[in-house]
Amino acid sequence: MHDDPTVVTLVVRAADGDQAAWDEIVERYAPLVWAICLRHELDRQSIDDIGQSVWLLLVENISRLREPAALPGWLATTTRRECLRAVRARGRLGKESPTPGDEQLADASAEVEQEVIEAELHAALRAAFAELPAGCRELLSMLISDSPPGYASISATLGIPMGSIGPTRARCLAKLRRSRFLAAIVAGQEGNMQVSEAGR
Amino acid sequence: MNEVSASWDDEELLTALRHALDSQSAVPAAFVDAAKHAFAWRTIDAELAELTYDSLTSAEYELSMRAEPASIRALTFTSAYLTIELEIAGESLLGQIVPGQPAAITIELQVGAGATLDADDIGRFSIHPLPAGLFRLRCRTATGIETLTGWITL
Repeated sequence: MHDDPTVVTLVVRAADGDQAAWDEIVERYAPLVWAICLRHELDRQSIDDIGQSVWLLLVENISRLREPAALPGWLATTTRRECLRAVRARGRLGKESPTPGDEQLADASAEVEQEVIEAELHAALRAAFAELPAGCRELLSMLISDSPPGYASISATLGIPMGSIGPTRARCLAKLRRSRFLAAIVAGQEGNMQVSEAGR
Repeated sequence: MNEVSASWDDEELLTALRHALDSQSAVPAAFVDAAKHAFAWRTIDAELAELTYDSLTSAEYELSMRAEPASIRALTFTSAYLTIELEIAGESLLGQIVPGQPAAITIELQVGAGATLDADDIGRFSIHPLPAGLFRLRCRTATGIETLTGWITL
């Protein structure tokens, strides 16, 4: 589906016992696991337990993943399964229990695929952003903050003339767009889109 | 909405970047740290027994839920050499090793020290009270086969 060489390398290294590679996998995909848990309306304790189960399952299985590039999909599917298990266990204990209905289970695969695509995109954007020069990261961070400061304030903080903020912003975004991480995603997504077009 | 393409304009790219960074900062640091620590549980010494049946995720569950809400939780772990069957009975966890044989069963907890108990001559054992939180069982048979179950939450 997608052939991100970095994911494959990380999986192979982690399977070999490399903690740094494992940490990188976690940094990349913890947001995916977290986001899926949030959608199941579980309390924080349950989410922590599910996170723990998912990562322990990955530790156990990482050297047996048939397709290392499919790791994000494996994580999404496993997280979803653990969430449903938690929801059902809550039902068994007699607490408030919306048992997942058939329709909910039916569109699981489409939903999981969507989560995975979004997570891959976000991970690629973060990796691309991390590789930008410090000046670009500072400027873009200010521009996307909840209450973006005006150009005068940006100029004063970053020590660049107001007139060059616009061109610098354009240059930084061009760099971001050309990143090798995004290039890998674009290639993968075009493949996906063709597949889903054909499937309709 | 998610398609990245060269045709994205600067505003769209900035918005996507903001979502990407937000989705990361939304994750509590403790959640990430726990995930990193999970790597310490990597084991290479024992044969891993895979979860091959769980009443909570089986198809029969849907039916049993409708007929009888208090259905019994049952789990089966299978390795190349052994099958370990588990079932909750009240406040106890009953186990059966197949083929039946004596063995030492160690309860490994994620937090704190676990306990070791013996399975009887035909492989039955009972754990009381039910372990709270994540745990797994290490089963060492008299013949020297060592099997480790996956992590379990009851």
